[in-house]
Amino acid sequence: MALFEARELHLRFGDRVVLENVSLAFKAGKLSGIMGPNGAGKTTCFNVLTGRYKPNRGRVLLEGHDITGRPPQEIARLGVARSFQLMTLFDEFSVFENIAVALPATRARGYDPIGQAYADPALTWDVQQILESAGLAGRADDPAKALPYGARRALEIGVALACKPKLLFLDEPTAGLGSDGRARLADLVRKLKGTLTIVIIEHDMEFLFSLADEISVIHWGQVIARGTPAELKANPWVGASNLGRLN
Amino acid sequence: MTSAPLLALERVSKVYRRGVFDRAPAFQLDIDRAFEKPEIVGIMGPNGAGKTTLFEMIAGSNAPSAGRVVVAGQDMQRVRYRQRDRLAIHYHQSYQVRRFSKSRPSFLLEPAGSAYPLVHLFDEPQFNTQDGYIGFMLDFFRKLRAEGRLVFVCLHPTAPYQLDILREICERFLFVSGGRVCPHDDYAGLVAQADVRTYLGALAGS
Repeated sequence: MALFEARELHLRFGDRVVLENVSLAFKAGKLSGIMGPNGAGKTTCFNVLTGRYKPNRGRVLLEGHDITGRPPQEIARLGVARSFQLMTLFDEFSVFENIAVALPATRARGYDPIGQAYADPALTWDVQQILESAGLAGRADDPAKALPYGARRALEIGVALACKPKLLFLDEPTAGLGSDGRARLADLVRKLKGTLTIVIIEHDMEFLFSLADEISVIHWGQVIARGTPAELKANPWVGASNLGRLN
Repeated sequence: MTSAPLLALERVSKVYRRGVFDRAPAFQLDIDRAFEKPEIVGIMGPNGAGKTTLFEMIAGSNAPSAGRVVVAGQDMQRVRYRQRDRLAIHYHQSYQVRRFSKSRPSFLLEPAGSAYPLVHLFDEPQFNTQDGYIGFMLDFFRKLRAEGRLVFVCLHPTAPYQLDILREICERFLFVSGGRVCPHDDYAGLVAQADVRTYLGALAGS
């Protein structure tokens, strides 16, 4: 059974088609990709899956339970974390603190949670583990605003991991990264792959082809193609465009 | 499904007048045609020729001044507003958000007789040769057609490859110009026309 499923989602803004009959299934432990040109409806699709928009029709299922239209914070509590195309970090806080405030155990504490996180060895250990998985172990004390762009991306993924999700959604993680940054990010995602279910929205075909188990191509608010990277690469136009390096 | 054509444009006419007092027509579009079976139809024409107006009338978001748009036997103007896209669906150009022109409350109208759109209207889809998505887009048009849908692809070609795309996927063509809609049964017939060649300019030679 799929861990997370969308069934026949429809969304309209006025008479504008935003999503038309979108069905998706993300299998547990797999890395699924959602790919498509700009303006195709990829982020809107994420926004419906994570509860920011309510679909006009259709259902969203997590482990077989209907979560359609539940508010985002509730869906997050059920184990669905996401990153955003535009990064959302606490710039004045350190890397350690950014992770610490995102931990459910910290958030349950109320008064001076960060101070307590520093004092609590169990929490400190938790944060260290997450920094390790995000490849930020050496940067715990750096202020978030001092991080280079690629490391900020990694920290954002770390913040999402701090929620101990079953499912991690990443929205255009390569946005703004150069080729070095992309390679480092691909390494990080490859390390995470298999430890939890991951869904990545990407405009960059090459990045997804190298990582995903299965890819859905979204355009005009609907799934226009679906398959493994090998199956999609067999399309003659993909070859002809040489993965974005033609002309 | 009845044996009615997928789409019938019955003596459809759209007139935009200059103003409330000056009733002289500023723009007029006329078309009388039926599309009996699933196919992929290419539409070309200059900016302002009425391509989008035609799409809006087919999708039911813009009411004809005269005549009827009938999809699978249903007059689009008699179908509930929010169910019209279960008959004909209009994929707008990226900057356009328009509203239905509403004349009656929705509950007085009839429900759509189809659960999914039968006519798909692609309004100037962006084909970007750099990103490799074209193949998926073309396969998608073919898939819709194979599922029994009628597909319209409207393009205002600015590069030779856009003509190649139309030639590759379209089985029939409409050329919209000066309020007239001229059908052409194949690509060769289309580009042989003097007015089409004038419209295409340098592209016509390709």
